[in-house]
Amino acid sequence: MNAWESLMYGFSVALQPEALMFVFIGVVAGTVIGMLPGLGPISALALMIPVTYGMDPTVGLILMAGVYYGAVFGGSTSSILLNAPGIAGTVATSFDGYPLAKQGKAGKALALAAYASFIGGTVSIIGLMLVAPLLSNVAVAFGPSEYFALMVFGLTAVVSLSDKSLVKGLIAAVFGVMVSLVGMDLQTGTARFTFGNVNLLDGIDFLVVALGIFALGEVFVLLMKKAGSMQQNSLGSLKLSKQEVRDIGPPIGRSSILGFFTGVLPGAGATIGSFLGYSMEKRIAKDGDTFGKGNVKGVAAPEAANNAASGGSFVPLLTLGVPGSGTTAVLLGALLVMGITPGPLMLEDRPDVFWGVIASMYIGNIVLLILNLPLIPFIAKILNLPRALLLPLIIVFCMIGVYGISFNTFDLFLVLFFGLIGFLMRRYGFPAAPLILAMILGAIMEENMRQALQISGGDWTVFTDSNISLVLLILAVLSLIGPLVPRMLRMIKRS
Amino acid sequence: MKRFWKRAGVSFVVPAVAVGVLAGCGEAPEEPDTDDDQASGEAEEEPDDTEDDDDDTEEEFDEDWEPEQDVEYIAPADAGGGWDTLIRQTADVIESEDLAPVNFAPQNIPGSGGAVGWAEVAGHDGEPQPLFAASPPIILVPLTETSEYDHTDFTPVANLITDYSVVLVEPDSEFESINDVFEAIEDDPGSVSIAGGSAAGSMDHISIAGAADEYGLDAADVNYIPFSGGGEAMTQLLGGHVDVVSTGVGEAMGQMESGELRPIAYSADEPMEEMEELGAETYIEQDVDYTFDIWRGIMGPPNMPESAVAYYEDMYAEMLETEAWEDVQDNQGWLNNYQDSEEFGEFLDDQYDLFENVLTEVGIQEEE
Repeated sequence: MNAWESLMYGFSVALQPEALMFVFIGVVAGTVIGMLPGLGPISALALMIPVTYGMDPTVGLILMAGVYYGAVFGGSTSSILLNAPGIAGTVATSFDGYPLAKQGKAGKALALAAYASFIGGTVSIIGLMLVAPLLSNVAVAFGPSEYFALMVFGLTAVVSLSDKSLVKGLIAAVFGVMVSLVGMDLQTGTARFTFGNVNLLDGIDFLVVALGIFALGEVFVLLMKKAGSMQQNSLGSLKLSKQEVRDIGPPIGRSSILGFFTGVLPGAGATIGSFLGYSMEKRIAKDGDTFGKGNVKGVAAPEAANNAASGGSFVPLLTLGVPGSGTTAVLLGALLVMGITPGPLMLEDRPDVFWGVIASMYIGNIVLLILNLPLIPFIAKILNLPRALLLPLIIVFCMIGVYGISFNTFDLFLVLFFGLIGFLMRRYGFPAAPLILAMILGAIMEENMRQALQISGGDWTVFTDSNISLVLLILAVLSLIGPLVPRMLRMIKRS
Repeated sequence: MKRFWKRAGVSFVVPAVAVGVLAGCGEAPEEPDTDDDQASGEAEEEPDDTEDDDDDTEEEFDEDWEPEQDVEYIAPADAGGGWDTLIRQTADVIESEDLAPVNFAPQNIPGSGGAVGWAEVAGHDGEPQPLFAASPPIILVPLTETSEYDHTDFTPVANLITDYSVVLVEPDSEFESINDVFEAIEDDPGSVSIAGGSAAGSMDHISIAGAADEYGLDAADVNYIPFSGGGEAMTQLLGGHVDVVSTGVGEAMGQMESGELRPIAYSADEPMEEMEELGAETYIEQDVDYTFDIWRGIMGPPNMPESAVAYYEDMYAEMLETEAWEDVQDNQGWLNNYQDSEEFGEFLDDQYDLFENVLTEVGIQEEE
């Protein structure tokens, strides 16, 4: 069977009424769950495990894939409307999505997110279908030293994410790294910076920090403003102007491809893809200084990247049998429960599952688009709520989201604490994005650095021996000193 | 009161969570036949005593005891992991084979490698439930002093199944046997990088460090590099970033069967047919007198009433004999390893001594 016949066979599986129904249910359920701040694909999938239990594996996996897509998309809704990202992958969407919503262009931002997600998702499915077997080599080519270099490169985005003051951006980033180190150290099993508190042993969940700093911080800022000074938000038009379509085309294309490849790397995934996409576009855009203030490209790039990454993260799962992200790890667990072992043999043993899932991804993406575009005006109505209702509602949603991850009341105090920090940061002009980026990347960077050094027996050349990590480190250095070069040339000329 | 909120929170907080709860119910629908069982059964004692009265731990042994309320059935981890799978699969078989008059309602309480779930169970001192899934971490996690409670705080109910640990290399690796690996470590301590899917001092580490210790090496010379999950560890080996992987047989089955990775030793006491087909030998067959069980069993709260323990151990013994269970076993690659409450308890104490010894050797547990 060639790829085309296989795909057709896949469609014949995925287009059966039962499968279609479950794609639809999955996408709807996923979108709704993903919209709640704090509940992302991982929780959505975990909730589905008992449902798929006893189902035909193909149908079960199709349902799960639908939920996954829906949740990734739904997450961007709360990022844009409430500045409350549901998952790490949609944090970057809030940088420009929320300002757009505040300017009364919520409809446009949501529509943009839907289009960009659709394109990103479609690109990644095509990628998954055509090059999945080849890419399994790429996925394993990344060992600890390569990941370390990738994280270093990712962290250089701090420079472009710190608006006015680089120093303040760096301070925020260092604080982010510090927060990421709290908890049990995987390498030695020692508790670090927990102050003897059991609740900190698992570390501080990314979501606690993100919801605190972004959503609660914003709520506190709004509370400080006089009631009259806040303008009524309107939905605005869903339509994009021709100029805007032309503007966002290339960023979506670039970010879709970038997102797909970062998604393939186990452990990197949607978050890094969306951050890299965002900072790449900010750097190359002529109007880069309007990023963070409601630039349409700032919504399109991360949305295309994070959806493309979710497709990419299926590559290691389906071809190697290893999960590429927390979400696919849950999926792997679900598959095992259904009696299927993903891996190289899956393509031969269960082509119905493999191709059925790929075909269902196409269908899921289309369902997502036609389902969500008409719904946008209704979803965005939340912004028309009076402030006295909206702000408490955001707080409640944040609390639910946080409690929903850990079922631990300690985290509720923690999110308040970070809300306060977020408020102070806003008050004194510290950018929040570097903190979040550093918190996500810092822990992975540290872990991989130590793994690499332990493998090499403490020899630091391990980071330059591998071509991949060498190239990435050079890129990191270039992106740091790059912006300085013109200034240095000018200084030399002057002297 | 505190507990009330916790419970209430779970059921009404998020619509999405409600979906999960509903699904849980759908999976194990209320059975009207509870009444029949009660009617046909005995009405001598008021079983409510055991539920409400925490102090009354010395109630009389009642061999006709049966659970009256749905059993809270806890996996102290996220959905999709080993504990979760055990809980969900057993709950399913218990229901489909009608082994108990009540429902077993699976519930996930993740956090701190199990410690959060254990703390929840420990709060039910003297009660006949909740029951929870346990495996070596219930001994290892407390040994690294990250849990307030250890295995002695809980009542062993029954040991159910076992998996074994396996040592894997790349197909064209120079290592042909486990002895090759150990000799290389002997020549140049720390030179062989061994990846595993759990933290230092946890299962994958202990299983190979224990074998190295038995071989006569200093367990601290085993250069163990922890990754988050057996899958990630195997990816590292596939990419040639590490030399050896230590993980569970079940977890590695896919990669072994496809020939991507080659097993060189596994920790069973008797050779397994599936592994022989793959050309793997046990440690014992390679003259390293060592076994390591990744056992999984069921435990209950502290001071569980004896009559309840007796009821559940019989129920599980019966469950392992059913055909529905055989299907589950085939699917999951699990081996039955039944031990009743008493044997299981002794086994746990032995495991504790073994693990403590190895952890001291590798320098994680400080000598006291």
